[in-house]
Formats: sequence, C-alpha cells, structure tokens
Amino acid sequence: MKRGFRIILWAAAALMLAACQESQIEKTLFERSVVRIVNHSQRGDWHAPWAPRAPTYSGGSGFVIEGGRVMTNAHVVSDARMILLYLDNDPTPHEARVKAIGHDCDLALIEPVEPGLLDGFPAMAFGGLPELGSTVETYGYPAGGQRISSTRGVVSRIEKAVYAHTGADSHLTVQTDAAINPGNSGGPVIQDGRVAGVAFQASTELENVGYFIPTEVIDHFLDDVADGTYHGYPDLGVQVANLENPAARRDSKMRPGQSGVRVEFVYPRSSADGFLGEGDVLLAVDGYPIANDGTIALDDLRVSYEQLLDRRQAGESVPLEILRGGEHHQVSVTMQVYPPFDAYRRQYDQLPRYYIYAGLVFVPLNTEVVVALGEGLPEHILYELYFRPIEEPLAARRESIVLLRRLDHAVNGYMSWYRDLVVDRVNGRSIESLDELIAAIESNAASHHVFEFAYYGRLGVLDRQAADDANEEILEIYGVPEDRSL
Amino acid sequence: MKPIGAIERAIQCAACLMASAFFVSGAAAQPNYKDKIVALRVTQQIFDEARPWTKKSPEVREGTAVVVSKGLLLTQANMIQNATFIQVEKLGRADWIPARLVHQDTAINLALLAVDEQGFFDDLGPAVIAANVATDGVVHSVRWKDRQLEVSNSRPGRIEVLESPYGSVHHAILRLSTDFSDGGWAEPVFAQDQLIGVTVMQDGQTATIIPAEILKAYVESPARDGEAGDYRGFASIGGLRWQTNTDPALAAYLGLEGEPRGAFIRQVPWGSTGCSSLRPRDILLELDGHEIDAIGNYNHPLYGQLRFDHIVVDGHLPGDVVPARVFRDREILEIEIELRASPPAARLIPWRRADSNPPYLVAGGLVFRELDGRYLNTWGADWRTKAPNQLRYFYDLLGTAQTPDRRRIVVVSHVLPAAYNIGYHGVADLPVKSINGYPIDSIAGAAQAFERPTDDLHRVVFYPNSTIRQIVLDGATFEAATQAILSAYEVPDRLRLPEVELPDLGAQCQYDVGLQSVVSH
Repeated sequence: MKRGFRIILWAAAALMLAACQESQIEKTLFERSVVRIVNHSQRGDWHAPWAPRAPTYSGGSGFVIEGGRVMTNAHVVSDARMILLYLDNDPTPHEARVKAIGHDCDLALIEPVEPGLLDGFPAMAFGGLPELGSTVETYGYPAGGQRISSTRGVVSRIEKAVYAHTGADSHLTVQTDAAINPGNSGGPVIQDGRVAGVAFQASTELENVGYFIPTEVIDHFLDDVADGTYHGYPDLGVQVANLENPAARRDSKMRPGQSGVRVEFVYPRSSADGFLGEGDVLLAVDGYPIANDGTIALDDLRVSYEQLLDRRQAGESVPLEILRGGEHHQVSVTMQVYPPFDAYRRQYDQLPRYYIYAGLVFVPLNTEVVVALGEGLPEHILYELYFRPIEEPLAARRESIVLLRRLDHAVNGYMSWYRDLVVDRVNGRSIESLDELIAAIESNAASHHVFEFAYYGRLGVLDRQAADDANEEILEIYGVPEDRSL
Repeated sequence: MKPIGAIERAIQCAACLMASAFFVSGAAAQPNYKDKIVALRVTQQIFDEARPWTKKSPEVREGTAVVVSKGLLLTQANMIQNATFIQVEKLGRADWIPARLVHQDTAINLALLAVDEQGFFDDLGPAVIAANVATDGVVHSVRWKDRQLEVSNSRPGRIEVLESPYGSVHHAILRLSTDFSDGGWAEPVFAQDQLIGVTVMQDGQTATIIPAEILKAYVESPARDGEAGDYRGFASIGGLRWQTNTDPALAAYLGLEGEPRGAFIRQVPWGSTGCSSLRPRDILLELDGHEIDAIGNYNHPLYGQLRFDHIVVDGHLPGDVVPARVFRDREILEIEIELRASPPAARLIPWRRADSNPPYLVAGGLVFRELDGRYLNTWGADWRTKAPNQLRYFYDLLGTAQTPDRRRIVVVSHVLPAAYNIGYHGVADLPVKSINGYPIDSIAGAAQAFERPTDDLHRVVFYPNSTIRQIVLDGATFEAATQAILSAYEVPDRLRLPEVELPDLGAQCQYDVGLQSVVSH
C-alpha cells in the first residue's frame, strides 16, 4: 500500500487548522536549547520559470548542538531568503544562515549570524535508536506558538520509509504516536535526556501518527558535512526483487539454505554498473545475510538490506556477496551518488532552469515540471521521465528537454503544437541537455529552425531571421528579465 | 386495450411534463411518428472486468428503435452490447415483444433488429430516410418513454467531424439542442416527416446524432441481410495522425509555395487508410477531388467546411481506391489511396472490445487478460489519474498502433494467492512481454506458451517496470496447482479465448513510422 506523508511545517494559512495536543511539562535544562525558526522563503515557479513566486513565510523548530549550530529539518529552511531564530524566553529575532543542508535526508544545520549567540545554551547530545514500545518526548513550537511545548508518545514502528520533502528518498524512520503537528518540524525527540531523533513528518492516512529521523540518519548527515560540503546519500543503483518463491530460487541456482534477492536491473553508470548484472543474487551486504524478502537482522530488528547501504558515505566501498550462475562471488562496490535520480526529487534552493527563444519556453524535465503540469500531465511526459530510463536505459536522454509553453507572438503564433512536448531533435541534432538545445539553436545558420518532438512525430518550424528579430521584443512584452537560467 | 389519449397520459405522467416536449395523439396535426418508432428494452449483463469469469448482476437499459423497413428496426449498436434479452414495445400494446439482433457494426455504432412475432409490423411503417440532414429550422426528436410518445422540438446546431461516439469511424455528426432529459439512447430525429438522424449521445441539452447519409448507407447495405451478408462496413481515416499546416514557416521549410494548405501527415500506422501510400511528412493537398485547406477542412457542398476525414465515409466503402494529391519531397504527386475500415479491434488497446466476454487465462494463480478500455474503466471515470501509470502510458503511446508481431497487450491483472505462487501475491497490472521465451500478444499465445516450460520452470517476463521484472513458477506442479487454485477461488474455467478474430490489417505499411520503438519488443 502506498502511504502518504506530509511534512509538518506550519505555514501562515495553517495556523487555524493545527490541532494542538501538547501539554506543558516542567522545563528541563535542554528545553532552553530548543529554538523557534521562522523562514521567509521564495520558490521558483516551474510553469513560469523566469519569475519567482511571491515570498512567503513559515515556521518550525530546531535545537542547539555542539559547535554553536542549530539542527533542524531541511524543509524548515529551504528556499530561504531570511531565517530568524527565536531563543528561549527571548522576544528578539536573530538572523541565521544555512550552514549545511541535505534535502535527501531532510536535515539542515543553521547558525546565527551573530557570533557566540548560542554560547550560553547547552548543546544537546545524541542517543541511539529507541526500542520499540519505549517512550519518547517531542519538543518544539507547533502551530506557530511562541512558547515551547512537548508531547509524549510510544515508539510504534521502525522502518525505511519515504521522506516527503523530496518525495523520492527513503531512509530509516521511527514512528510514534506522540503528537507531531505543524511547527514541530526540526524539533528534537528526546529519550533519557538525549536526542533520539528529529521530528519531521506526519501520516496523512493514520490518525495521530508522526515520524522522526533517527540518529543513524543524523550521524550520516553530520559525517557527510564534516568537510563543509554535503554530498548526499550514495546509491547502489540496482532494482531487486524478492526470491520468496522456491521456483525462483531454483531458477537463480540457489542451494538449500541460501537466501537473497535477485538483481532485476542495474542503472547505467551507477555504483553497481560493471559489478552487478541482471540475474545476480545478492546474498549478503557487509557480512549480513539477506533474507528472501530483502531484509536483514540488525540490532534485533528486521530491516531492508538497503539500511546497510545507507550507512555508507559517497566514495566508501561496501562488500557484497553475490551468486552468479550458481557461483559464489565477493565484490566490493564503491558507493556513489547517482545524479540522474535528482530529476525525481522536488527541487529546493534553486530556481528553475530554462531557455526561452522566440517565445518558446524550454525546461529540463523533472518532478517539479510534473507537479506544475498537474492533472493535465500528458502520458508521454510520464513515460519520458519515469519509464524510459528503465525500459530503454541506453536510449534514454541524459536530460530530457520539454517545450513547456509558448509566449504568443506573430513569429510563433502559427505553430500547431507548442505545449508539453519532449524535444527529440533541433536542427537535426539530438537534444540531451539544455546546453545542447541552446547550442543547436544559436549555432544554426539555416533559413529555419526545425524542432522535432518525440512520440507523435510532431514538427515545429520557425523562420530563423524572424525569430532572431522577435526574440528580444517577446522577452520585453512578457516581462522576462533573462532569456535563460542555467 | 385501447390507446389512452394525450391529455390523460399527461396527467398520469407528471414527470413527462417538460417545457417544450409535447405528446402526440393520433388525431393531432403533427407528423405521424407513432407507427415509425418502438421502445427498446435491453436486458444486459456485463462481466466483472476485474474477475473476468464472473458476470455482474443484470441490468436493463431502455431506448428507442426506428422502423426502417418492413421487419427491420434501427438503433445504436451501443444499446445492445452485452444483451441477454432484447424486447420492443409499440403503441397500442401493453406487453413487451422479444426482438433479435440482425446485424451490428460497433465501428459506426449502428444495429439492425428484427421481431419475429407474426403481424408485429402490420401497423408500423418504415421511416423515410432523408438524403441529408437539415441544418436549420425545427426538427423533432422522438421517443417512447414510460409508454408515452414524447416529441421534442429540437434545433440543429453545428455539423462537425469526429470519431463516432462509442464507435471508431470518423464522420460528420450533427449537434442538436433538445428538450429531452436523459436522451442520447437512439432517439430518431425527423424533419418534415423524414428521418435525418439517430442520437448516439447527449450531454446536457445537446444531443449528437449520426446523420441520415450514414443511416442510409448502413440500412441499404448488406447488413440488412444479417451477419452472413457481404457487409463491408465504413471506411475511416482513424489511426492516421496528422497536424494542421497553418504555419507559413513550416510550409516554407517543406518547400510548399503559396498559402499554407493541406494536412501535414505525421504517422501512418499499420492497417490505417493511407498505409503504404501516404508517408510521414507528406502534405495531403487533395482527396477524392476535394481540396484540403490548412486546418484540414474541405468544402462540403451542403454542410460547408468539414474536416477531410468525412470524405472517405461519404459515398465510399473500405477497399475503394480514391485519388489524392500530395506534396512530397518538394513535388506535387498524384497518388491513389486505398480506403480501410477502422474497427475498434484494429487498435492495440481497443477502447471498445469486440467480444462481450473478456478473454482471460488463469495459470498458476496468475490472472492474465488483454488490456482494453473496459479494464481501464475499472478504475472509474477518472481512470486517467487512478489507473497504474504504466497502463495509462501504454494506452496513450501505443494504444492505436498494432504491429504484426504485437496485436494486443496482455497483462497479469492480479494473482490468486496460494502457496504455489508465494512471493508474487502483490503482483498486479503488469504488461507481459514473454512467457517461457515466447513473445506474448494474445491470451491464446499465453496459454500455448505455458505448455512449453523450460527446465521444468515457467517464466513470465514483464515489460520493464519499477517493481518486478519476472515471475518464475515450478513446472512440475503447475497443472495441479492451477487446478487447485481454480477450485479454491471457484473459477469455472481456466481459459476463455476471444470469440471474434482480429481484423485483417493487410500488408504492413512500407512507410510505417515504427511506433513500436516507443517501447521496445
């Protein structure tokens, strides 16, 4: 079953909706280290990529950790134009800035602009993974309230789950029935006086179910940013299937007692490319045997074998045991970030890339474009983004460019089709990036620009000289400050 | 029992008191419709498309049929789909009389019925089918409803060309404003006592009618002689993909001098009109002597500007060869185009299935079926947002393009869970690429492939997806497990083959555009 999650940021409009069930409890020492964060942010508009949207503001929570830094969720401080910190019992807003941000794990570090501001606040220490059934307490500023509140709940599930911030990343998650409401985002979840995790999202389907990011993920993030740069989670780059059926295990030439999962697909140029192949059986990762349902036994829990891969940083290797044609092999794969997956993630802290020529608006295809198109999303866009890379991995474009829309003008007004079309070729050149598209247009000396679109054989033509002449005028008419953002 | 008068009926049936509909008694000075139409009641029973061996509860659909000759009634083919029992009622009779299907053409969405009861047609007379439709003035839509003869003053609106609602032939239709509520069930439309059309759908107060020319061609064809007749159907441009040629830049780039004109041909799939004679990037300038303008219209002598699709329906039949002029490689050429029919079954993923009964196969608990519109509709009217992504894009990107080695898409719709197929219980709605190494494009092919296991294993390979790429099942216990699963889930038969053969699409087009490359075989 597909499960729904929502991030738990309060926004101006959400204030009236939040159901607050928190109860005030006696203030402890570390409560002073829980801060309120207000983020004045501004996002791009993927349907009008030349004009950012109006600024808005939202709020969340955070907590002081060592080094004078504040840990919070990435979604609390994404797309920030100005971040304000409110400290315990202090009405003065303090400007802060992002020091590190990991969108794929929804964690961020911020620091006050004013040096030493947090010197008097105790740094909160991290604990480990709480046990199932144990009690945790959440701290934060839900619903935009200006006073700290806390709620208590029980750890009810520990498993890998989708992180709603990008919508495309899954990591270890702890589920609790402690009330986690809008504004709790980024606040600490405490057990035995230590941070057990960071509150970050709630279920859209289950009542009173919230989730926090456990310290295993937090540690990964902190290790990653230790050199001052966030690199992100690496990916093995394989698709696997369970081998619970005895016939499937026989087909994979597994002996009695052996267990594992079958490699169904290896993404080209991923970490596993060249090391694993379709039909291989993954028997063990890092020495942990994989069961036929893809789980491993880890600290008295059964979790996905991917949990072990999640512990690696980019550039680190992981030992794998595989069965290939009945033969046992050991391989060591160096884990790398896989950039093509970025197209499946929501985009933050960057404005949309685009190129406008003669009123034709071209953008790289990604999830933001899909969201912008909404229910009118044509099926060929769906195929191009999500299916072609796995159906025709070698033929798939490195970056798919879409003619998103047209800024109407006499020079382009006769084009029959001008919306939501995947660009195949321009002026005879295959297009696999925005740069290639621009080069194909700007280097063309022929009398016409010829746009060939994928899937339905559609053809668009512009008179080159007329298009060149109209280009600036169109930008001016429609108030487009720049013809491109790369 | 004698007919009751119009006033009495109006009092009895308050629901029928619509503002502009009026009731016609035999003595009224209105055209005499009562002896030309009958009420139609069709008991129908559809299969549960999600469990294709099970029939759903029967339902009754009511509409109208019009007498077109002694012994023949004309109605929509859509009215009698999945019919288990057909009845008619006429003025003066309180009982419903059994009728039978003589012929149906689901592509044009028309059907002919007969009534075997002796003397049934004695007091009925055939409607005269007009030569063409009226384009102005007031016309009458007529139906029996609740034993009332209802007549609506209707006003002809626009004539346009589109794919026949519930059919697959592209032809001219007439939009009609009507006062009927819940119309669109084959109500005949008369002008000056002549039949000008039959409704095929109604949206709000706007009805869509199949025009008289089409009705006449159908009624006067060998269809009247029943299924065994030498019936050729209707030619259609369906399947051909083209775009307007309004853009001077496009015309100039292609080298067409003068004003932009003609239809720019984009794709010519196998089996379509134009296959092997039209090529992608041709500009179709003339068809059958009619000039085609930049938006694809020609000048119809009665109806004015119509999309050129209608040319092939108007006075032609499949198999006819018509002259055409095309602009190709900077030259104007005279060519000949053989007209083809465009039955719903010519599509790779037909929206309308020729068979009433969904073909399926249960093998090892895996439920296989052919992908069609009825299955997609199991996700509801908003299936385009609710059906699985892969099925949606298959329908859109591949739906119209059969190739000789891929004529249907077969999916595993779901799995009937058992110990035998453990590990695959969650598999659902995945298109099948091959079984035991044999490419699969039919239920029959799937059944045959399961007769040939390799190394005592059955292997079902899916088109690439993000969940599972193949299913492997034990060969030795396959038969016993299948029988046990059929028994446990009370599935009466493991296999139902299509009853209607796939249409002959002729030779493959020399200039086919290779749509199959969208998803590789």
